[in-house]
Amino acid sequence: MDLQAVNMNVFRVPFFRFLNFDILEVGKFHAKAEMAFDSRHIGNPIMEHYHGGIIASFMEATAAIAVQPDFADVPAKPINLTVDYLRPGVKGPLTAQATVTRKGSRIASVRVLSWQASPEKSVAEGLYHFLLV
Amino acid sequence: MSEITQEKMDQIAQMWNARGKGLITHMALKIEEVSTEAVQVRMPFNPDFCVDSDQTLLHGGILTALLDSVFGLANFVAIEGVSTMATLDLRVDYLRPARSRADVIVRAHCYRKTRHIAFNSGSIWFDNHVDDEIARGTASFALTRGKTSLFEAMTRGKP
Repeated sequence: MDLQAVNMNVFRVPFFRFLNFDILEVGKFHAKAEMAFDSRHIGNPIMEHYHGGIIASFMEATAAIAVQPDFADVPAKPINLTVDYLRPGVKGPLTAQATVTRKGSRIASVRVLSWQASPEKSVAEGLYHFLLV
Repeated sequence: MSEITQEKMDQIAQMWNARGKGLITHMALKIEEVSTEAVQVRMPFNPDFCVDSDQTLLHGGILTALLDSVFGLANFVAIEGVSTMATLDLRVDYLRPARSRADVIVRAHCYRKTRHIAFNSGSIWFDNHVDDEIARGTASFALTRGKTSLFEAMTRGKP
C-alpha cells in the first residue's frame, strides 16, 4: 500500500490528527511513524516532557497501522498493551517503529519501540495485541 | 475511608489549576473524590479523542493516558515526601469498545507503596454505567524522595 494513501487514511481519524504524526514507512509487517511535539502532548509542565499516555497512544496508533494500514472505518481493534518507560520523552519529535511479531487469523501481536535521538536510546518499548475479527 | 487534610486538598486544587498547558488541561479533568484510599476523576466527552468519523468511539490510547494521569494523582495523595515520580510500566486491558458520548469516569488507587516504588490499579467506565467497565489498568511508578516536594516543584515560579 502506498504511503500517501496510508497517510490519508491516518488523517481521517480525529484522534490521530490530535496526535499529529506522519507514517514514514509501511511494509507487510512493520510501520514507522514520526510525531511532532505539541504543547497538548505535555505531561510534566515544568520539564515539558511528553505525557506517558501520549507516548503509549502514539505507539498504539503506529502498531494499529502496522497491523492494518488499509483499515476501512476505524483502526485495528486493540485488546491490551504493556509499556515500559525507559527515558523521558523531551521536547521534540518522537519516532515509533512497530513490528508485527505474529499475525494469525484472529489475533496480532505487535512490538513497538519509540525513540528520539537514536533507536538505541529507546524512550519506551511496548507490546500490543489486536483483535482482527 | 480516611480523610485527607485540607492543606493537601488545597495543594491538589492549586497544582491542578497551575497546569496552564499540557494534556491534562486538554482533557478538562474534574476531580470528583479524593482520599488516601482512592481518587475519582471525570473527563467530559471530547470528539478529538475519537477514532471514527461519527465521533462516538474513543481511542484506547486516551484511556491509557487517563489512567496514567490519575495514577499520578493517587500517588500524590497517598504518599508523603515525594519529590519526583515517573511511570515505570503500564498495562491496560480494553474490556469493551468505548462507544458513547457520555463523560468518562476513572477511579484509581495506590495499593502498595515502598520507599522507591508505588503500585497502582484503576478502572474506567462511562458515567452511569459503573457495571460496564471499559478499561482496567495497572502501573508501577519510580519515586524519588528529597527536600523539594513534588508540589513545590510543580508550582515553582507561579504567582
